[in-house]
Amino acid sequence: MLNESTAERLIAHALARGADFAEVYAERTKSRNLRLLDLEVQEATSGIERGAGIRLFFGTQVVYAYTNDLSEANLLEVTDTLARLKGGGGRVDARGAGGLDFRKTAPAGLHAPERPFEAHDKRWRIERLAEADAAARVGPEIRKVQIYLIERDQEVLVANSEGVWNTDRRVRTRYMVTAIAENERGLQTGFAGPGLSVGLELFDLEPPAEHGRAAGEQARTLLGAKPAPAGPMPVVIGNAFGGVIFHEALGHLLETTSVARKTSVLTDKLGEKIASDVVTYVDDGTLPHAWGSSEYDDEGAPTERTVLIEKGVLKSYMVDRWGSLMTGYRPTGSGRRQDYTYAPTSRMRNTFIEAGDASIESLFEGIEFGLYAKKMGGGQVKPGSGEYNFAVQEGYVIRNGRVEEPVKGAMLVGKGPESIQRIVAVAADRKNAPGMCGSLSGSIPVEVGQPHLLISEIVVGGEG
Amino acid sequence: MTLQEAQTYLLERARERGVELEALATGSRELTLRARGGDLEEITEAESAGIGVRVVTGGKTGYAYTEELTPEALDWVLAEAVENAELQADADGFLPQGAALGRHDLLGEGLSAPVDEKKRMALALEREVQKDPRVRQVGAATYAEREHQTELASTRGAAGGFRSGYAYQMVNAVMGEGASVKQGFELKVSREIAALDPASTAQDFLYKTGRLLGARPLASGRYTAYLEPKAFLALLAPFVSMWSAKQVIEGKSRLADKLGQQVASAVFTLYDDPDHPEGLANAPFDAEGTPTRRVYLLREGVVESFLHNSQTARKLGHEPTGHASRSYKGVLGVAPHNLIVAPGAGVRLEEGVLVTDLMGVHAGANPISGDFSLQALGLKVEGGEAAYPVENFTISGNVFELLERIVAVGQDLEWSVIFLVGASPMVEVADLAFAGA
Repeated sequence: MLNESTAERLIAHALARGADFAEVYAERTKSRNLRLLDLEVQEATSGIERGAGIRLFFGTQVVYAYTNDLSEANLLEVTDTLARLKGGGGRVDARGAGGLDFRKTAPAGLHAPERPFEAHDKRWRIERLAEADAAARVGPEIRKVQIYLIERDQEVLVANSEGVWNTDRRVRTRYMVTAIAENERGLQTGFAGPGLSVGLELFDLEPPAEHGRAAGEQARTLLGAKPAPAGPMPVVIGNAFGGVIFHEALGHLLETTSVARKTSVLTDKLGEKIASDVVTYVDDGTLPHAWGSSEYDDEGAPTERTVLIEKGVLKSYMVDRWGSLMTGYRPTGSGRRQDYTYAPTSRMRNTFIEAGDASIESLFEGIEFGLYAKKMGGGQVKPGSGEYNFAVQEGYVIRNGRVEEPVKGAMLVGKGPESIQRIVAVAADRKNAPGMCGSLSGSIPVEVGQPHLLISEIVVGGEG
Repeated sequence: MTLQEAQTYLLERARERGVELEALATGSRELTLRARGGDLEEITEAESAGIGVRVVTGGKTGYAYTEELTPEALDWVLAEAVENAELQADADGFLPQGAALGRHDLLGEGLSAPVDEKKRMALALEREVQKDPRVRQVGAATYAEREHQTELASTRGAAGGFRSGYAYQMVNAVMGEGASVKQGFELKVSREIAALDPASTAQDFLYKTGRLLGARPLASGRYTAYLEPKAFLALLAPFVSMWSAKQVIEGKSRLADKLGQQVASAVFTLYDDPDHPEGLANAPFDAEGTPTRRVYLLREGVVESFLHNSQTARKLGHEPTGHASRSYKGVLGVAPHNLIVAPGAGVRLEEGVLVTDLMGVHAGANPISGDFSLQALGLKVEGGEAAYPVENFTISGNVFELLERIVAVGQDLEWSVIFLVGASPMVEVADLAFAGA
């Protein structure tokens, strides 16, 4: 994508214009997308994205430029424009004169695909997705089945003025099944969407029939659902994508993106007890083949397993280069971006609550009236106040310790720092699930996760 | 290769292969200036471009795109697009007959100002917000601008382009009073940089976020909702796809059999205007080259039209409405330009809840069923005025019930670009379910 001498000249040029740190990120991504409706191909598309981002630090000030034109002449010109925009320039630094000795690192292939995209043609993919379509049709109420297939092959290069020269390759595959059910009471949808940092072996690791059936059954269940009850009540949250609540209500508050600006309510709380004893919260970018894993982050630093909260005590934030500069905290390999059109910021990778030792049954015991949020939808948070909301995709009323009728339209709302104090029991069935997380540096793949857990009180918004 | 050379190259190769091809190319420029702590914390400057094709061969349609403008990449694009087309079962795709569409400049000198002036605007915005002692942290105060050049060309004769763009100011900050903390933001967008004023943007932010401090819980119940323009547009946004003829054809719209029927209150009129004097998404023609025009989605509560591209129009036997949408990376879809809620006779506050903010719109609204359940912030309305702020509650229901229960529409349009590009006055809805403490 970029040869060494171009990168070297570019970085030297930036330093000569007064930058304290210079980084170039180059990317080439091949992607393919397929949408099927009732197994007929609606749209199929393929694409090449290619560009470079140049980031310069002047103290803690950051200037960033991106372009699709990777010629050396253009990259040097872009660097000049950036220095000019920064202003106060003209200062020439002797560091620009010396050559850089890049320390080259390449990925070890920890998340490399077993079956590359070229292993099978597009019709093979449609045949495998047909298994999901067939399984989703769990009854005559299922009217339509829509399936997306997404394939990404991203090659990146990060070089910087500290001598980092790092290449990485991220191959990811995901399919998403939406079943649409209809009866005299209306339309409802069910969803399942497995994804991993793998190639076409995804279809063996996450069998389409299993996920198709789950989507179909969810849609059918919701057809019979009544409006959710409303008001404060105990809530049991299911495992896997249930972890989205703490992704929103806790994870985003621990990114230096907001901590360094002191716009997170959890700023300056290292070493403090911020959650109940049963909560250990981890962000792990190294889980083999996980959807949010990569060997290196988008600043060229190796990813790691970061324990954020241990038994309720805040141990670490998620720290990128800029965040480290601002706060003095150790970088955690958390600098991520959607693509070259974004400067990196601190982001989550695979973030989950560790397994506890409660039995699942014990979570429900003793609840007179509450909500079982079995499958979660998406949500949102304001880090400055900790206010969050998220939708319950599949919920049930709990009465006298028993899971009873399904309910729809439930929304959990609250403040993250209060909710994490109210986690009273955590089961042992920890599981992760993939999702896309949107923030300052774009939309990136992450996993969220947790075991089943009980929160003593959350406000449930519903119509009932 | 330039974008136009790439377009020409693709059209020539397509003619040689005997396939129909439409090439949509976009060149974009971005400038973002973010102030923090009295200095510019982040500056982003960018130019980027890409080209995406839609090919039709034997009635089958396929897509591919590239940002790498080399003959090898363009050949790959054509080969992939043809291979993608061949997967389609449907064989009734076509490219519409094209015409010379002309060259249009919708931006003019709107963004022309020295860069130092733009920097001053970002810095002034932060300074103005910080004048209020209740402001605890300013996350970011931003001046930004975007400019796009769109070029369309097809083997069926479409050829034309237009230049568009806008500038915006945004501030995101945390305010506090005692133990009460609220994070809010304010965004002002215009095609004219001269229309943006840091002091008034700051004032709007301070007013809108400051009034929510000291919020109390809201008792669950059914209330009259007074939805402020931005909140109403946020609520409406996920349901606009119901008017997409693409959704209708795919059986995903509850409006499918409602053309000509009353589904909303007679005081409610909703239309799409591609040529609004203040429009932030004006376009002379759509992504297929169909000229645009004003289209009514709801006129006095009656469903008047769906939004069409050429493919959906032919399938349903309607006229195209100029709503084909496609980015160079995307596929052919249907989308509005500037959605406008027609101003009404006015809203008078009596008893209920003034809803100022909605959160979780992407997760809490189901565009297929029409159900929604959304976290909201607002002010309790008592005795004809906004009495005190309320928090930690949701509003929920079904969009069709909501549309029927609109009892009044305000007089003054306010623009939003968050979930859709459009403008609305305040909207009063009777008897909405609120869940709180």
